[in-house]
Amino acid sequence: MGSAHGSFQQLATGPDSAKTLRDGSRIAVVGAGPSGSMFSYFLLNMAKATSLQLQVDLFEPRRFCHRGPAGCNHCGGVISESLVQRLATEGIVLPDEVVQRGIESYTLHMDIGDVEIRTPLEERRIAAVYRGNGPRDSEPLDSESFDGYLQRLAMEKGANLVHRLVTDVSHDGDRMRLECADGFHDEYELVVLASGINSRLAEDLEKRAGGFRKPAPTKAFICEFKLGREVIRESLGPSMHVFLLDIPRLEFAALIPKGEYTTLALLGDDIDEELMERFFTSPEVKNCFPGGQIPDHVCHCYPRMNIDGAKPPYADRMVLIGDCGTTRLFKDGIGAAYRAAKAAARTAVFHGVAAEDFEAHYWPVCRNVQVDNRFGKLLFAVAGLIQKARFARRGVLRMAITEQQHPGKPKRMSGVLWDLFSGSARYREVFMRTLHPAYIKDLVWNLVAGNFGRPRPSAVERRHGTH
Amino acid sequence: MARTDRPTANERSFLTHAQQLEKRPPCQVGCPNSGDVRGWLGIIAQRRKHGLSLEQAYNEAWEQLVELNPFPATIGRICPHPCESRCTRAGKDGAVAINDLERFLGDWAIEHELALRHSRDRRCVESIGVIGSGPAGLSFAYQMARRGYRVTVYEKNAVPGGMLRHAIPDYRLPRRIVEAEIQRVFDLGVSLQSGVNLSEDMQNLRERHSLLFLGLGAQKPRRLGIPGDSLAGVFSGIDYLARRKHGETTGLGASVLVIGGGNTAIDAARTARRDGAEVTLLYRRSRQEMPAASTEVDDAIDEGVRFLFLVAPTEVVGDGKKVSGLEYQYMRLGPPDNQGRRQPMPVKGETGHLAADSIIVAISQQPDWHDDGWLKTREDGRLANDIWAGGDDTGPGIASRAVAQGRVAAEGAHAQLRGETPFDTAPVAGDVDPVKVRTDFYDEQSRNAHARLRPEERLDRPDEEVDRTIDARQASEEATRCMSCGLCFDCRQCVMYCNAGGFSRLENTTTGHYFELALDVCEGCGKCVELCPCGYLTARQDSG
Repeated sequence: MGSAHGSFQQLATGPDSAKTLRDGSRIAVVGAGPSGSMFSYFLLNMAKATSLQLQVDLFEPRRFCHRGPAGCNHCGGVISESLVQRLATEGIVLPDEVVQRGIESYTLHMDIGDVEIRTPLEERRIAAVYRGNGPRDSEPLDSESFDGYLQRLAMEKGANLVHRLVTDVSHDGDRMRLECADGFHDEYELVVLASGINSRLAEDLEKRAGGFRKPAPTKAFICEFKLGREVIRESLGPSMHVFLLDIPRLEFAALIPKGEYTTLALLGDDIDEELMERFFTSPEVKNCFPGGQIPDHVCHCYPRMNIDGAKPPYADRMVLIGDCGTTRLFKDGIGAAYRAAKAAARTAVFHGVAAEDFEAHYWPVCRNVQVDNRFGKLLFAVAGLIQKARFARRGVLRMAITEQQHPGKPKRMSGVLWDLFSGSARYREVFMRTLHPAYIKDLVWNLVAGNFGRPRPSAVERRHGTH
Repeated sequence: MARTDRPTANERSFLTHAQQLEKRPPCQVGCPNSGDVRGWLGIIAQRRKHGLSLEQAYNEAWEQLVELNPFPATIGRICPHPCESRCTRAGKDGAVAINDLERFLGDWAIEHELALRHSRDRRCVESIGVIGSGPAGLSFAYQMARRGYRVTVYEKNAVPGGMLRHAIPDYRLPRRIVEAEIQRVFDLGVSLQSGVNLSEDMQNLRERHSLLFLGLGAQKPRRLGIPGDSLAGVFSGIDYLARRKHGETTGLGASVLVIGGGNTAIDAARTARRDGAEVTLLYRRSRQEMPAASTEVDDAIDEGVRFLFLVAPTEVVGDGKKVSGLEYQYMRLGPPDNQGRRQPMPVKGETGHLAADSIIVAISQQPDWHDDGWLKTREDGRLANDIWAGGDDTGPGIASRAVAQGRVAAEGAHAQLRGETPFDTAPVAGDVDPVKVRTDFYDEQSRNAHARLRPEERLDRPDEEVDRTIDARQASEEATRCMSCGLCFDCRQCVMYCNAGGFSRLENTTTGHYFELALDVCEGCGKCVELCPCGYLTARQDSG
């Protein structure tokens, strides 16, 4: 996007030649995280189905076989079962080595008590994965990294993995020019940016091209504790622990067990040390660790999260997918990457690679996500209010406990919480369910009973009995 | 270990704060002359980042190289290159061909008539005398002359160059190469008095010069010390090589025995093959213990030299005047000596005899100018306030060690004359830990091999160089194989992936220096340290 090439918008009006992929067309995919790998996979699949010969160069300087932050891709590593199933229908079957531990329930922790919410349907489990090869200083994993696995699938489809760091993308005549840190440069018919939000490429692009806005980030926190399998089984079980605590700016906090380790993810509005201290000193958190003592973590980072997508996420011969384009708020980033990758690949193969093509066939997918994210924001705002209001927390907890104790009872609150924590359903759909008269009736009843009646016992056995 | 109620700053031992810290690469550790290999390779490999053409890059790289070694074309041919055996790349897809690149730059400079330059710092006017014009003496002369000193070199032979000029065969080091590189040193204004032997007249020289450097070498061959070792037809290795080098006829005969296991023995054996003789080399230990470079031994075998290991000569047999053969004793390896080398022990009753027309003895040399043995200098080469020394007169070693000793002595002598403390060039951060270099970051790229004469061609063209210089394309390719251990090469991973945006590009970048790091925004995740492929970024000590 050198200034000589004009604004981002102007990129969309190159010479008037047919902007479609042809036999021998070269495509550069920048970033081999899930979106880049899945795009390559889908693109090559679709090209094969239409007898189109494409050459895909997948640029990724990092190695996902590295342990610790170097090989990691900064996320909690939770994948909903619906996505696992969806991927399976695409031929992406997550092998057992990739999945760290089948998560069978969510445990919601609040100051007034805990509730374990079991999977709404028997098969609806959650997979926990490592995006890289596990935490720093860990033993080399006998399991494969999720990102490494997808990357391998893309390569098996014929993508050519290039270990180079892309530093610039610009328009050169009717082609795209790509430059790398080592001086390498080449030209492509289509460039797919899948560089995430934790790379500076989108930022550099914004600086150099007018009319383009990079995704808006916020700071999250992720760390790994080494607890050992035994301790994890004892204190956490096959359950993801979610905290609804009255800490300003904290939207979501979860402990995710993975083999020897457990991952902690804090999401919200610019997680900082003050917020973390409040989190770590709250008794609900400490009680999840053996002896109420939180050990030092072995690995941590403050990854950025995309809270508002890039605009526009496409140009002539260029499309932005995954976290550097549009993604879902807080949850299910990999699911969003999957949908974006597939839509972008379909557009490129069946419609064309001009800005208008992406606008007509790719942008609607992004727009839907963005609209849905507004519902997400609303839901998290309500969750924030509940965090602040003790009487509301009592009602929510009582309703969830009651549902869990009566197998035949409709799981209205449990379902809402489950989908909010797992990201398995659209935010809009979750929001609509909270407007259902039966849900409102149940909630009102539980608000009254929870605050004025006899409280029901906690659904979760206190594992350490510290309070 | 456990976090209590409020974590304090001291307890956050998990934070990894990065710092940019240049470290000494393994090639430099391995180089006797501490050559800044990474530095001059970096100029070529990173030339595009600084807008240099290939030609400019080669010129600049050569200039960087000759800061420490004025003879790259020479050393690039004869050095056993310990730098390469330590190269981090050796464990991946073959060491960087450092020696070939050094040689290439040396030849490039000769071809393009590049001149050595005076250094920019102050001109010094003292008069300096250098006795001996081998690699040590000329290295010292060069380092002093470029600082502005008035330097006179005294040489007992008619032409300067020492062992480089008089002992190393043309098929390894052509005369024109040594001559060109030596001439450049004299072009700096160094004067030469050749054909004078002044080692006896030390007092006179001390008065004439402010400071003297002794680079006398060790030209006295050790004798066998067995009956018959002074018969006609018994030559010393360096005498034979010098006569051959000067084009004299040697009259070796058809059957030659060479005794010794060092490089001189191998040179003599290979030269004798080129003279048409059948050659057998006798060594008292096994091949493993041979001090000669292993590749040279292979070449000798390819050229038809026969080897007889674990034998020690006991008597040179002759008719009273002329050699006719050699009696020898079979040996076995006993326990190691204090240097860890296994000592040869005679096997009782096992002896042998070989007929020979001549015998070349190459079992090391000694100083030939006084009887006290090797000069014992301080580590920097100082013998007395006004007398410094280096090279083989302080003990036998390879040529690049002699160049290093001349340079180190010059740095010490210069500092002493100026009343300064010598500048320590070693980086404070110490050596690169090879484990910290992420070799899997770098793509596989196989080593550029240089062309060689086939063994059968070598004997037909006895004075032609066996190894050829790589071409300019190979050189530029090979330079990019350097992993730049311990110094930034602008891979930009840190800047691209730092969540906090802590790295920013320097306004004026130079080779090895591209970014600055703002610690106040660092979030302590340590990702940059772990991503950094070359080991330049390091965790600060205070971050545990």
